[in-house]
Amino acid sequence: MSATVITITSGKGGVGKTTTTANLGIALAMQGKRVVVFDGDVGLRNLDIVMGLENRIVYDVIDYVEGRCRLRQALVRDKRVTAGELYLLPTAQTRDKSAINPRQMVMVCDELRKDFDYILIDSPAGIEQGFQNALAPADRVLVVLNPEVSSVRDADRVIGLIEARGKGPAQLIVNRLAPQRVRKQEMLSVQDIVSVLSTEVIGIVPEDEAILSASNRGIPVVLNGKTPAAQAFHDIALRLLGHQVPLVEPQSVSWWQRLLGLS
Amino acid sequence: MGLFERFFNNKHNSSSPMAEAGSAVTARQRLQFVLVHDRAEISPATLALIKDDIIAVLSRRIRIDREHVTMQLTQTERETRLVVDIPLLGDADLNLPGRAVGSPRRPLTSQSS
Ligand SMILES: Nc1ncnc2c1ncn2[C@@H]1O[C@H](COP(=O)(O)OP(=O)(O)OP(=O)(O)O)[C@@H](O)[C@H]1O
Ligand SMILES: [Mg+2]
Repeated sequence: MSATVITITSGKGGVGKTTTTANLGIALAMQGKRVVVFDGDVGLRNLDIVMGLENRIVYDVIDYVEGRCRLRQALVRDKRVTAGELYLLPTAQTRDKSAINPRQMVMVCDELRKDFDYILIDSPAGIEQGFQNALAPADRVLVVLNPEVSSVRDADRVIGLIEARGKGPAQLIVNRLAPQRVRKQEMLSVQDIVSVLSTEVIGIVPEDEAILSASNRGIPVVLNGKTPAAQAFHDIALRLLGHQVPLVEPQSVSWWQRLLGLS
Repeated sequence: MGLFERFFNNKHNSSSPMAEAGSAVTARQRLQFVLVHDRAEISPATLALIKDDIIAVLSRRIRIDREHVTMQLTQTERETRLVVDIPLLGDADLNLPGRAVGSPRRPLTSQSS
């Protein structure tokens, strides 16, 4: 058995990479998979916070790379998921991107591959070394973007770089879609985005207030409840596993449908 | 505007100031424009310089309608093209009467490579 390494990246910052990594990692583990979520954002680590595991970190991947611990010691088990196995591999908060290089990233992932099914890497924003690090071990790359001109533009650049590295084709996750606003022609639709990027979409995650309180609490949305975003992340996890889950652009309910009780 | 009108207008009148309705259309256009330039690695400003150069070169040999020269980057899945449209100043523009009235000339195209 050998794990599939999936890198979650974006180009533009703040579009939802960390949120996506945490939720997909948990959702895959809930499907019975053995999963590591690996924080690739040296110096600005966030994955531990979003997952609510920040108090359990003793060692991180930089400690391992520099010989201060074994890799196992750096893995933090998330006991909330009982179906499969879920671990966080944290990074250092007080170092910079040069603390680890692409070759070492590959080495770390190769060591994990034999014991796990999926390794999800949370890439930092940008196209510099942190991104190159996160890309190096990838078997598959997911590009997260928001329905905004600047985000789509940066995604286009990153998709090109991923292809140039022989890591393509990337797949898209359109995050923070607000169907109501798309309907009112205030927001780019998934269709608009696909037509300019000509890249496959693997998931559409709606804007969801539950995401903020989830990260406030350190309990990602897929862990409890059926909020719209949680449902979307579960669907993406199933698609990653090869299930045929139809992809539908979320529809908002218009006032007249509500009036007529059509939904 | 009465309540009744507003009720219907805000959905069907895209120029309604009530919402930012329609800004997605602008987003789409800006996105296409910026991506085509990003991918070709030719900025709109560079394109403007190239346009000036072309006009200068052509004007040494032929008479062109400088005001209406257009240049555009277009893109399909497979290729990017620079499409340049240069209207020539012909006899009609020399105030020769009669040309517009006469039988229209057959459209012709001449390509050379
Ligand atoms: N679907 C969503 N609905 C509502 N809020 C969201 C959604 N996705 C992400 N957010 C919010 O957006 C913010 C940025 O999310 P996140 O930290 O996951 O982005 P990122 O791409 O990892 O950022 P960075 O580039 O800084 O690492 C967070 O406050 C998060 O709660
Ligand atoms: Mg992040």
